[in-house]
Amino acid sequence: MIQFWEKRLQTGIVTEHKEYDERMKALRRELKDAVKKKFAGSLAIRMVDSGSCNACEAECNALSNPYYDLERLGIAFVASPRHADVMLLSGVLTFNMLPHVLDAYAQIPAPKWVITLGDCPVMQAPFEKGFAIEGPAGEHLPIAHHIPGCPPSPDAIIEGLLTFLGKI
Amino acid sequence: MRLIARFALEENEGLEVLTVYADRTERMRLEADERIDSIAGRHPAAIWFERKLHDDFGIAVDGAFDSRPLLHHERWPKLHPMRKHFDARTVLSSHPFKPYPYETVAGDGVFEVSVGPIHAGIIEPGHFHFSQAGEDMLHQEVRHFYKYRGIEKMLEGKTLEQAWPIVSRISGNASMAYQHALRDIAFAAANKPRSDRDRGYGALLLELERIIHHLTDLGFIPNDAGFGAALAYASMRAEEARRLMRRLTGHRFGFDALRDTVPGADAEAVRTFVRTLREQMRWFEAWITDIPSLLDRFDTTGVLTRFKALKYNTVGVVARASGVALDRRDDDFHRARGFETVTDDRGDVAARFTVRLRELFVSLEMMEKLLDGAQESLPDTSDASGEFEAYSEGALGELYLFVQLNNGRITRFFARDPSFMNWQALHLMMPGNIIADFPLINKSCDLSYAGNDL
Ligand code: SF4
Repeated sequence: MIQFWEKRLQTGIVTEHKEYDERMKALRRELKDAVKKKFAGSLAIRMVDSGSCNACEAECNALSNPYYDLERLGIAFVASPRHADVMLLSGVLTFNMLPHVLDAYAQIPAPKWVITLGDCPVMQAPFEKGFAIEGPAGEHLPIAHHIPGCPPSPDAIIEGLLTFLGKI
Repeated sequence: MRLIARFALEENEGLEVLTVYADRTERMRLEADERIDSIAGRHPAAIWFERKLHDDFGIAVDGAFDSRPLLHHERWPKLHPMRKHFDARTVLSSHPFKPYPYETVAGDGVFEVSVGPIHAGIIEPGHFHFSQAGEDMLHQEVRHFYKYRGIEKMLEGKTLEQAWPIVSRISGNASMAYQHALRDIAFAAANKPRSDRDRGYGALLLELERIIHHLTDLGFIPNDAGFGAALAYASMRAEEARRLMRRLTGHRFGFDALRDTVPGADAEAVRTFVRTLREQMRWFEAWITDIPSLLDRFDTTGVLTRFKALKYNTVGVVARASGVALDRRDDDFHRARGFETVTDDRGDVAARFTVRLRELFVSLEMMEKLLDGAQESLPDTSDASGEFEAYSEGALGELYLFVQLNNGRITRFFARDPSFMNWQALHLMMPGNIIADFPLINKSCDLSYAGNDL
């Protein structure tokens, strides 16, 4: 373990884009009191994959690597929809997933928001509408915000989340 | 004899079932009653293929001991979408919920645990059904196809070029594996040999994709045993590798990268990357193999014996970590460029972790020797007809693609993702382990849902 602590001290903090911290601070100040109260300073996201290629999930996972370290902004991915403020929805909404997605949405306590992630849920990815696909998601759920990309890069996801926070 | 795939085609004369083994393909035209005999007694991995044959085409399987629907979940109307008369754009109406009978073990005090389809982390959807005696797992059933997008049908009627962006995104983490095989098919269809330089470029990116995948696993496996520092370290390395992918292809996952003309890769960027990562991962190896409490969680956890790995026709790291020397790269081309098969006989989480780590070093060595690749323009397949197949060895294992073309248009597309084989063997690793080790065992295999469900 000695080697680890040596490495740890040599490496320091690698997190990039400290400007997000500044913007987040500014944004926090701007957020209306009501929203402040609703989120209690933190935003909890339940990620739901409704039939993606898994690249959108991989980029969300990348948000936790030390280069992005999303949680420092007070934004966390949570395990249960019942702990969530936001459903982050990826994938084309397959016939087999639709009832489960609606179930998960129903389990999120109000007030709640759906953010679509990537081109799939808005049917802009190369996949065509067909018998096994129920997208676009907007036909089944109220969509508060969309983060485009195939997949959106971790930077684009952070941007998108901050834009969403500014919108509500 | 190793079973690779079993699937059907529909032509004017009716249905034909192809059974692909490692050394030959058996073809059988079906009579009007559209029945086949099950081969699941000899090849347990045939079970999912045969259940899929029924869902896709309505083929009845005689002697099957499992004939539950596979792709068609509780609310599916009765229809067989791969039949030619079925229109891909049909809008399905949701039917009343028909419960799915899960495999369970009965007995005093035995209870069931249902997990998924939506899991606790940022993971793909799938369902795991456990029969438990206290903490001990007696049996696990894997139920998938929540992500079934109907891609095989979607691709019919398209040219290879039109199909490219879709095939590129069947499984985002295996995009290179799919594209590399599809490119082989394009060359075969155009009746043009694919040059070593052309193959070399694809092989370089495929090794980079493997490195990204293995790095991710090398972080997540210890993380699932409660050692988060490994994930922090390995995920940084994976991020750097992804950035190299973006530098080389303009995209972090290399989607569509093997379609277009490329003069060559940025050799200096690759060399610097290889040198740095090799050194970093030597440090990682020394660090991680010096933590006895971590290795204690890995050792003898989730064992797949060599006998069963063979019996279930597993592929990829899962097979190699159970002592099966199976790798599609084991040929002159790859051996001349630094490839060697990595195996381990233990069959447990430790073996799968070790195989990934050693393969990472092999891939680094190969990348250095694959720097002279370049990509020609995709050959013209506009009037190609016939059946073509191709293999590639991606990070998850052997991929098999079959494409039937008629005047340049796809009339049948079939993909057997490596995970389609390995998912069917996952339950074999559970008995004798406690349910808390399931995530660790599952992660050590790291299987794809998107590629499997298609
Ligand atoms: S938007 Fe693109 S990257 Fe994301 S899941 Fe869909 S195909 Fe994959």
